[in-house]
Amino acid sequence: MKYVPYFDSRMKIEASPALSIPSSNARQHNSAGVNKEISKSLRVLLPTSSEEVYPKLPDSQQVSMERELVSGPLVHSNHVHSSSGVVGHIFSSSPGFSTDLHYSSVSLYENQSDSPFIPESSANGAMLHSHSEILSSTNHPNSENANSWCSDALPGFLEVPESNPVGNSRVENNSCSSLLVSDDFSKENDWQEWTDRLMTDDSLTSNWSDLLVDANVADLEPKMEHQASKPSIKMPVQQVQVQNQLPSSGEIPMIATTTSSNGAPSKPRMRWTPELHDAFVEAVNKLGGSERATPKGVLKLMQVEGLTIYHVKSHLQKYRTARYQPESSKGSMDKSTTPLEDISSLDLKTSIDITEALRLQMEVQKRLHEQLEIQRNLQLRIEEQGKYLQMMFEKQCKSSNKLNKPSTSTLEDSPFSDSVLETSQVENRTVHTGPSEADSIAGKATDEVVEKFIDPQKDAPENPKSDVSEASFQLSKRQRTE
Amino acid sequence: MKFGKRLKQQVDDTLPDWRDKFLSYKDLKKLVRLTSNNVDVINNNAGADFVFLLNSEIDKFNSFFVEQEEDLVIRHRELRQRIERILESWDPHGNEMENHKQDIREIREDIVNLHGEMVLLLNYSNVNYTGLGKILKKYDKRTGGLLRLPFIQSILQQPFYKTDSLSKMIKDCEVSIDAIFPTPKQQFNNENKPNISVGSEGIFRNTVSALLSLEEIRRRSSTYSHFSLPPLNLPDSDLIHSFQLNSPIPIL
Repeated sequence: MKYVPYFDSRMKIEASPALSIPSSNARQHNSAGVNKEISKSLRVLLPTSSEEVYPKLPDSQQVSMERELVSGPLVHSNHVHSSSGVVGHIFSSSPGFSTDLHYSSVSLYENQSDSPFIPESSANGAMLHSHSEILSSTNHPNSENANSWCSDALPGFLEVPESNPVGNSRVENNSCSSLLVSDDFSKENDWQEWTDRLMTDDSLTSNWSDLLVDANVADLEPKMEHQASKPSIKMPVQQVQVQNQLPSSGEIPMIATTTSSNGAPSKPRMRWTPELHDAFVEAVNKLGGSERATPKGVLKLMQVEGLTIYHVKSHLQKYRTARYQPESSKGSMDKSTTPLEDISSLDLKTSIDITEALRLQMEVQKRLHEQLEIQRNLQLRIEEQGKYLQMMFEKQCKSSNKLNKPSTSTLEDSPFSDSVLETSQVENRTVHTGPSEADSIAGKATDEVVEKFIDPQKDAPENPKSDVSEASFQLSKRQRTE
Repeated sequence: MKFGKRLKQQVDDTLPDWRDKFLSYKDLKKLVRLTSNNVDVINNNAGADFVFLLNSEIDKFNSFFVEQEEDLVIRHRELRQRIERILESWDPHGNEMENHKQDIREIREDIVNLHGEMVLLLNYSNVNYTGLGKILKKYDKRTGGLLRLPFIQSILQQPFYKTDSLSKMIKDCEVSIDAIFPTPKQQFNNENKPNISVGSEGIFRNTVSALLSLEEIRRRSSTYSHFSLPPLNLPDSDLIHSFQLNSPIPIL
C-alpha cells in the first residue's frame, strides 16, 4: 500500500548534510552538519536580558531552567544557549540535548560576560515583542496560522553568532550558534505547557523547527539592531561570513516551515494516491457504502501504517461529496464555463460537432501535458547536471586549495563563471581548519613548489592567515555584489 | 515578456479558486530588492524575510497540490466506473445507442474536463517550480548568495513537485478518452479554427493560456545560464495562437 506522508521529503532534507559544505570538513560538520547552517541563517543577536538569569543556567536542567524563567522576576527574559552543537542535538535527539544545552549555556555565559555589545534588555525586549506583534498582524501567512502552542510560547528563538573567535583561524568552529529564547510575558501558561510537552513529545523535531521559523520572522528587528552594533566589535571578516552563511541556510528554514503553516505539525497531510484511494473505496464498500461507512471502520479495514482517523475522515467527506454529484462531476468546475457551452453557444449554427470541439480541447490539453512532461524532464536533468558540476568544482577547488593553500589568488583571479566562484568561496572556508590540518597537508606535500607555497604560512601565526584569506573572501564578495 | 507579467497573466486566466495559490512572485521580488539594496543593516533582515516567504509559498503549493490531487483521484475513479458501465452497454458495432447518447456526451465532456484539470494542476506545479527557480536565481544574482542550489534540490523533493502519480492519472484519462470517443472523421483544419472561441475562466482558455506561457517563458532568458531551458517549439503553435486571436475576450 502506498501512501506518502507529508513529512517524507522534509526528513530527507533534514538528513542530508548541507550541500555547500565540502566533505573535507568532516571534523567541523559531523554532528552539527545541517544544523550549523541553521545557526548561520538565524544568525541574530538578540539583546540578552540580564545577567541574573545566566548564573542559574550552568547547574540547572533544561526544564527547571525554563520554569525558573516563568516564575522569574523579569518581564521579558531571554535564554541564551550556545555552542555549535546545540542545534544539532536538538534536532537529532531529544534525550541528549539537555546536557548539551547545559554545556552550551555555560559557554555562552562566558561569552556574554565579556561581550561588550549586549544592549539594554528591557528596551530591546520590548522592541522584540512589539515587532513580533506587528509582524504577525501583517501578511506572513505562517505567523497568522501557526498558532500552535510552540509559536505562542516562543515568540523569539534566536541565535548568537560567534561572539568571540578565540584567536585562531577556525572561525567556523567557534561559532556559538546560540539559541536565544525569549519569553512572552503574556503567555506564561503556554510556556509551562511547552516545557511539559518538551519532555514528552516525540515529535520534537518538527516542533523545534517551528520554533526556529518563528524566530526567523519575529525577531528581525533585534537582529537589525545587532547588525548595527556589530562592526565595532568584530572584524569585518565576520560580516562577510554572515552574509555568506545566510544563503546556504536555505534548507533548514524549509524544513521548518513545511511543518508549521497549518499549526498542526503533529498531523502530517496524507497524500492520497490512486492505489490508496482504491483501498479506501474497497473498505467503504465492505462497510456498506459511503453513507454507512464510518471513518473508524474504514481505518480499521484499510490497515495502512501512518493513516489516521483524521485522514480517513476528511477523505470520506470528500468522497461523499464527489459521489453526490457524480453525474456532472462538477466540483470546482462549477464556476467555470465549460468549453462546450462556450463553443456551442457561439457556434451552434456552424455545425461544429460538440464531440469535435471536445476533441479539440482534448488535443490542446494533451499538448500541454506533453510539453509539461518534457519540460519536467529537462528541469530534472539540468538540476542533476548542476549538482554534478557543483561537485566537480568542489573537488577541483579542493585539490587546488591543497596545492595553493595559502594563495588566495584562486579567488580573485578566477576566470571561471559564477558558480565556480561560489564553490571556491565555499571551499575557502575549509582553508581555515587550523594548524593540525595545515601540518598534515604540508607533510603530504612532496613537491617542491608546494612546499614553497606552504612554508611561509606554516611559520606564520594563524590569525593573520585567516585575516588575509577572509579579506580576500570579502573582496570577491564585493565584486560579486556590485 | 517578463516572467512576472506572464505569471500574472496565467493567474488571471486560471480558475477562480486557484488564483491566490500561485507563487507570490511580486512580493518575493520586492524582498530580493530590499535585500540587495540595503547591504549593511537590513540585509539579513530582508534576507530572512525572503527565505521565510519562500518557505511558506512552498508550503502553500504543497497544501493546495495535495488537496487538489486528492479530489482528482476520487473523481477519476468515479468517472472510470461510469465509463466502464457505459462501455458495457456499448453497441458492438461501435455505434452509440440512442438511449445512451446523452450519457455518453456527458461522460465525454466530464472526462475531457477532468483531464484538463489534471493537466492544469501539473501546469500549476510546473509554473510554480519555474517561478521559484527564477526568483532564487534573481536572489543569488542580486545578493551574491548561494541559495539556489540547495533550495532547488529540496524543492525537487517537495510533494508539489512529485507529480508521477498525477501524470499516471492523466495518461489513464487519455486512454479512457480514446476508448469513449469515436475515431475522428476529420482532422482539424483551418476551416474549423476560426469558429473556436475561448470563453472566460474555462478550462480550455486556461489550457491555451498555459501553453502560451510555456512557450513565452521558454523563448529566451535575459539571464541565460546553464540552468535555463532550451526554447520550446510547439508543433501546432499557430493553431494555439489562433485561439487567442479569435477570442472575443482577448487573452492578452
